Amino acid sequence: MTFSRFMHRRRKDADLVAEIESHLAHEQDEAIARGLSPEEARRRARLKFGNPGSVRERVWQYRSVPWIENLWRDIRSVLRSLARTPGFTAIAIIVIAVGIGANTAVFSVINTVLLKPLTYPDPQSLVQLLNSGPQGSFAPANVPNFALWRQQTSVFQEVAAYDLGGSGLNLTGGDNPAQVQGIYVTADYFRLFGAPMVAGRSFTAAEDSPNGGHVVVLSYGLWKRRFGGNTNIVGTTIELNGKPHLVVGIVDRSFVTEPSGDLWLPYQFDLASQNMAHYFRVAARLKPGITPQMANIQLKLAADQFRRIYPNALGPQSGFTVIPLQESMVGGTRSSLLVLLGAVVLVLLIACANVANLLLIRASARTREFATRSALGAGRGHIIRQLLTESLVLSLTGGFLGLIIGMVGVRLLLAIDPGGIPRIGENGSAVILDMHVLLFTFVVSLLTGIVFGLFPAVRVSRRNLVSALNESSNRSGVGFRSGRIRALLVITEMALTLVLLIGASLLIRTFLKLQDVDPGFNTRNVITMAMSTTGDRFQRTADIAQLVRDGTERLRAIPGVTDAAAACGLPLQGCFGVPFDIVGRPKGNEPSTGGSGFFPVSWSYFDTFKVPIVRGRNFTEHDSGTAPGVVIINEAMAKQYWPKSDPLQDQLIIGPRPDPVFAEPPRHIIGIVADMHDSGLNQDPSPTLYVPVAQLPDKVTALNSRITPLWWIVRTSPDPHTLITPISVALREASGGLPVAHIRTMDEVASLSTSRQRLNMFLLTIFGSCALLMASIGIYGLMAYSVQQRTQELGIRMALGAQASNIRNMVIYQGMALALIGVAIGIGGAFWLTRFIASLLFGVKAWDATVFITTPVLLSIVALIAVWIPARRATRVDPMTALRFE
Amino acid sequence: MSDKTPQAGEMLQGTLDMLILRTLVMGPAHGHTIAAVIERTSESALEVEQGSLYPALHRLEDRGLLSSTWGASENNRRAKFYTLTAKGRKQLVAETTRWRRMARAIGLILGESAF
Repeated sequence: MTFSRFMHRRRKDADLVAEIESHLAHEQDEAIARGLSPEEARRRARLKFGNPGSVRERVWQYRSVPWIENLWRDIRSVLRSLARTPGFTAIAIIVIAVGIGANTAVFSVINTVLLKPLTYPDPQSLVQLLNSGPQGSFAPANVPNFALWRQQTSVFQEVAAYDLGGSGLNLTGGDNPAQVQGIYVTADYFRLFGAPMVAGRSFTAAEDSPNGGHVVVLSYGLWKRRFGGNTNIVGTTIELNGKPHLVVGIVDRSFVTEPSGDLWLPYQFDLASQNMAHYFRVAARLKPGITPQMANIQLKLAADQFRRIYPNALGPQSGFTVIPLQESMVGGTRSSLLVLLGAVVLVLLIACANVANLLLIRASARTREFATRSALGAGRGHIIRQLLTESLVLSLTGGFLGLIIGMVGVRLLLAIDPGGIPRIGENGSAVILDMHVLLFTFVVSLLTGIVFGLFPAVRVSRRNLVSALNESSNRSGVGFRSGRIRALLVITEMALTLVLLIGASLLIRTFLKLQDVDPGFNTRNVITMAMSTTGDRFQRTADIAQLVRDGTERLRAIPGVTDAAAACGLPLQGCFGVPFDIVGRPKGNEPSTGGSGFFPVSWSYFDTFKVPIVRGRNFTEHDSGTAPGVVIINEAMAKQYWPKSDPLQDQLIIGPRPDPVFAEPPRHIIGIVADMHDSGLNQDPSPTLYVPVAQLPDKVTALNSRITPLWWIVRTSPDPHTLITPISVALREASGGLPVAHIRTMDEVASLSTSRQRLNMFLLTIFGSCALLMASIGIYGLMAYSVQQRTQELGIRMALGAQASNIRNMVIYQGMALALIGVAIGIGGAFWLTRFIASLLFGVKAWDATVFITTPVLLSIVALIAVWIPARRATRVDPMTALRFE
Repeated sequence: MSDKTPQAGEMLQGTLDMLILRTLVMGPAHGHTIAAVIERTSESALEVEQGSLYPALHRLEDRGLLSSTWGASENNRRAKFYTLTAKGRKQLVAETTRWRRMARAIGLILGESAF
């Protein structure tokens, strides 16, 4: 009702005018009837009625919606006043935009990674099944795990196994063979994740059992790219690894997996298998009403059952657990994102303090304006409202700008370096501006405006009217209270900045330490690439050995290539683990039985990477399948298992593996190789053993071919990128037409392995620099303003004989006192806060002395410079001008 | 920005509203008649400030207590006639009762203290 009244008031006003006219006419008629002349009658009628304008005004006003009108009036007056001080306005908006932009950027990533539910139906009931042990939980599972988990039908609705990309497949049968990413899955997979099909169907249970035939489900992307998006492809065959596969279905575009795949193949597990190799993941959907806790209780019973069926396969402290699938996908990213969120909140607080300070200065300069306004009848509430409107106009404008900066910035950054963050899509394409981000930015902008606007608003409006009006000028000194609030704000800024800078420095040191880590091999001029050896051709060790021999020979023949090798894994990327027994020692615990990393390599592997053999001998071409079994161990392993004796005298047996087909005879330890960082630069080298590719049991080769690609490693004398074409051609010839993929230099592999740390460091450094800039502007602004306000006082001091140096030192002393109090509080705060980033650090303690000494010194120097400039200006005050001022 | 403070000499808002409603019980009337009737029937004790009359009429119409139409007046001029609505009638009864009760209470107090 209020609003309709508001909307039609123009029409109603016209109505009122006519009504008043009619009233006057009647009054006039009456007066004429009493015998007055028409003119006199008209005059009296008007006199009696009073001012029609004021009547109209009263009706008009009563029909208005006061707050809208007042708001509009306030906004117009604020815009006028902001336009009068473009410098202030620009700085304030930029500071807010930076603060809010940083928050928007980080929040948009958090929104995508942590907050958005998975895109599958009813995502809350999806869980990941884990093997848990005393050292923590791990997702990889084996067939006996899967077979048992599938039977837990009281808690799980569907259970499906899937791999994470594995070794890649070769899409053959065309002019250009390509390596595609195939994902092996069990039949329930598509039902579990609710994958919509464009055409056809998913795998049947029969197709997913051993000898179920060659069938494949295509992804939307591959179907469009390679097969022109024609649904007739369903029911025809495509050639994978040289074998025809029947296309049974196409999955719709909306089905997203992490990492993405091009096509799906059925695992065709033999559920009776006793193969204990962990090489796939298992997810399940909880039955309605079942919580993860209830599932975990059921899995405890399942673990006991597992122990009874397979003695020794599961330790007494080991078992099975479930965690929400989303949590499992996000993993360790959560903590670093939360640290970044904490950092940007600090940046925003500093921005708020900064703008509050600017507004206070501005408000002090406008004291007389506000005093005049209240003298003219403006209420206290009205002045507060106007000041808040001003800060909200600033914060919302800044917020809008920040939204743009944040979203553009985050996309640019992620395109340059996605930092291995899960769920953000190709180069961060999943990080989008949605309602959540919009709402977040809006609310943050609003809060920001209220926080930094409230200080000056309340303070200014409280000012004594008389004293403000009587002040001879606006330069006669800073009010005590105002000075104290502003000093507090500057101290806060300093403290928060120091916390951020210390955090950033710790991450910079972490990154530098990582760069300093000697990977144990020479990464320069080494290029690597992956070849998928899935399919029937490479099931036996002899086939792989032949491929490696041929390939190495052809590669070495290329001019510019100095050495070449092959392996079932690359350094820095992690590897499989195996148990082993040392022959002649009692079985049981260390140092006679243990576990270590496991690298099948070709004989030239160490030479290609230029890793020295510390003792004993290197592999040679003669360590073939027919020669006696040999193994090389790394120094870490020698130190741990042979602390006093000589490993070269011993033999070890890899195993015992539960499945007897993997059994192999003892191997002679022929050498000790220098440590390499096989699991990443931030992991100390752990015990690792290397065996010749040519000496693996056939079953192990078959498994390897299925789950990891064969990596080729080529050392060149010129820039390796220039040789990619001849290298690919040579390998295709050696393998009978297999393509290679994932072509990267070893430097790139090393850089990828630290990309998360680099992203963290990079972001925190940006945030720290913003904070430093804002804090130095803050302290500079405060001191500059204070000097300007005290011109008169300084003039008197100088007239009374104070030296320029005294004046300068006084200003510096006052400014630095604030800075140092802030620094001291910041050191305390950082001591307490850095524990939260301890998990992101490497090689640096959370209370690293270097950082805790140099960073405060650096900040103090910056503060000193910021204070020095106004201090020098203070010494240039001319006593005569200062005194005559006014 | 201090709007809507009652002007000196203005009748209490509620009182004027009640008088307008009372006047319209006798039938539809336009603004000038209403003012004249109030003045006459109160033996000129209450002089309606004409400036307040129209805001009051519009307010009552907005609240749905009155309805209005343009028509021809007794001396053949265009005038806006106000009619009491059912809601207005109910409001008048409530207001009158309230007023009587209050007048009696005030009368009692004055009666006691005066003698």
